[in-house]
Amino acid sequence: MLIKIVNALLAVLGGVAGAVVLFYLLNKFAEILPSRWEERLKPYLFLLPAFAAIALYLIYPTIQTLVYSFANAASTQFVGFKNYSDLLTSSAFQNTLFNTLLWIIVVPAGTIVLGLMIASLADRLRPSGEKFAKTLIFLPLAIGAVGAGAIWKFIYAANPPTQHQIGLLNGIVTGFGGNPVNWLQLSSGRLNSFLLMVMLLWAQAGFAMVLLSAAIKGVPTDTLEAARLDGASEGAIFFRIVIPQIRTTLVTVFITVLIGVLKTFDIVYVMTNGNFNTNVVAVDFYNQLFTNSNAGYAAAIVVMLMIVIIPVMVYQVRQFRAEEVAR
Amino acid sequence: MRIRPTVKAAAVLGAAAALTAGCLSSGGGGGSSNTGNTITMMYGFTGNQSDDFQAVVKPWAQKNNITINFAPTADFNNLINTKVAANQLPDIAIFPQPGIMRTISATGKLADLSSVLTMSDLQSNMLPGALKAGQNDSGTQYAVLVSANVKNGVYFPKKAATAAGLTQGPQTMDQLQQLTNTIAGTGRTPWCFGIEAAAATGWPATDWVEDLMVINNGSDVYNQWVQHKIPFNDPRVLSVLNQLDQLVLANGHVNGGRNAVASNNFGTAGNPMFDNPPGCFMYRQGNFLTQAGFFPKAVLSDLDNTVGVFPMPGKTAESKPVLGGGDLAGLFSANNDSAKKVLQYLTSSEFQTAMAKKASWYLAPRKDVPLDSYPSKTSQNFAQIQNQATEWVFDGSDQMPGAVGSGSFWKEMTAWISGQEDAKTALDKIEASWPK
Repeated sequence: MLIKIVNALLAVLGGVAGAVVLFYLLNKFAEILPSRWEERLKPYLFLLPAFAAIALYLIYPTIQTLVYSFANAASTQFVGFKNYSDLLTSSAFQNTLFNTLLWIIVVPAGTIVLGLMIASLADRLRPSGEKFAKTLIFLPLAIGAVGAGAIWKFIYAANPPTQHQIGLLNGIVTGFGGNPVNWLQLSSGRLNSFLLMVMLLWAQAGFAMVLLSAAIKGVPTDTLEAARLDGASEGAIFFRIVIPQIRTTLVTVFITVLIGVLKTFDIVYVMTNGNFNTNVVAVDFYNQLFTNSNAGYAAAIVVMLMIVIIPVMVYQVRQFRAEEVAR
Repeated sequence: MRIRPTVKAAAVLGAAAALTAGCLSSGGGGGSSNTGNTITMMYGFTGNQSDDFQAVVKPWAQKNNITINFAPTADFNNLINTKVAANQLPDIAIFPQPGIMRTISATGKLADLSSVLTMSDLQSNMLPGALKAGQNDSGTQYAVLVSANVKNGVYFPKKAATAAGLTQGPQTMDQLQQLTNTIAGTGRTPWCFGIEAAAATGWPATDWVEDLMVINNGSDVYNQWVQHKIPFNDPRVLSVLNQLDQLVLANGHVNGGRNAVASNNFGTAGNPMFDNPPGCFMYRQGNFLTQAGFFPKAVLSDLDNTVGVFPMPGKTAESKPVLGGGDLAGLFSANNDSAKKVLQYLTSSEFQTAMAKKASWYLAPRKDVPLDSYPSKTSQNFAQIQNQATEWVFDGSDQMPGAVGSGSFWKEMTAWISGQEDAKTALDKIEASWPK
């Protein structure tokens, strides 16, 4: 144990010292140059290590993935667009895309609505009540998705009718004399996908609540009072005074959750592994790579995912810049 | 002015793409050159199984002046692939499945064992067909089973089953179907069945299908099917699914009904057998089920008296096929005498008898291990089931490519049993998913 701590300390010290030495040397190198060049080059030299790290860990793998998406399963031969056409024409992958689309439509919007509702309702509680309610709702955010899976298994669990029901929902159903339902197998109307989305809503609502609650509290009270004096109803105040003033926070929450949804993996993997028509893109990617050893399909899926995410990211960055300018 | 950064970025990305485009993977050659008496042995079983194994092998190795570095890993398949690719080979590897062994044998790094072991001895003393599991498609022996398991046992609750008229195992499939119908006819449920296994959901169904394949069509057709020499969606496979439908999935034949199967965990699905009145009378599952963690504690503590086992019957009373599995030892260091000696020992009756005495989970792939070496009546029973086998085949899904054997086969059987697809569609989809 002691040796581990010593090792960890040495690693931290070594890492920091290494960085210091690196920048010191870069600085020395710049100082050797004639002073005009020194001024010109120094910022770039100081940027170099960070840029090199990004290139190595982000840009290089991205390009490699792009290349692999045009190669066969073992990445030994190029096959053109075959991976893409195979995937897009297979009904299983079309289903996966449709499920993912449902997640994109339902979860970010649902999180916003829930978060907004909780935030504005909690705002009206007494301070101690507000703190308690918010803590409770924020709690799931601290639980990892796999832990959430373990918890929700106890809600959706279904045993044969002759056995004791350990699942909460089936406990209720059989308590009223019904037959246990296999919740996660209910694929008609994609009900099982919606049941999985509830888990993500449960986990994310706290995140939305915290940000939106802060934004709502930041709305200047004089605007609210002015509206009240003008005789606006509570509904009108909320939708026409509060919402426009917290718009930027709403967008940030929406996009953050949206990106999280596109990457949703653990909840589906733990609960159904994509069975019963609940597959989503990230789970399919994992299974293509690690179960089917098909690097070509896996890379193609990731590239498609990336193409979908890029516009969202660009929008977010622009939004962020616009805000900076506004300040 | 906006165009310039874009052009620059495109140029940078283009250059990087040109640099990496040529880099598709390629392999290397070579083999292990260790000739000393210190050898490395890598294997995939851990915990008390590894402890038992070492407790038997270590004293023998000491006597023979061989030092063995044991390298157990739970992530054997990934690790061995990495080691082979990096040419950092262990001297001996014990493979959990023939599939990965065959893939590696194609690199030429595994030794042909026919000159290392006494093949005639193995031929006559091992389970019939067991040697095949260690051969590649052209019949070269690259590995030999050193432990075995039985996957076609049918468990029944001794006392309750006697009352229901089940005292000994049926001798033919027809008798099994009859027995099923008789129990169902009295308003009781004959079978338990569960295929839920978290991310591996579906595998217990594949065992059923494989079992019925070898029962109905014999080991030759079975092996051709496993090696994809006949298509996965052959009409014979469809009729197997229909048989499974009639035998187990039919209305009133399975505890909880067909819809409960996919969400019922394989490890505990059989436990309603011990309820009063029993939730079912038969549960078909591998011999591993008698280890701790599956049956209720009260049952486990009195296993020999509460639980009976019969093998899935053959088509006729004379045919007794067994679906099994096990670990296969292969040799990377063809020129290392110590490693050869260890391999000879692992395949000997001496080692396997000692293991049977030491470890309650162990079954020997050799028939000449005396039955009384096994500690319990239940494990003796399993040993007897496999020793009486007229033909022994290795679990098929473990030999198929991962995309099928742990991918589409699991998933499509789950979809079929939970009623999302008909049998034909499921089989067609598996056939379509077989890597070309």
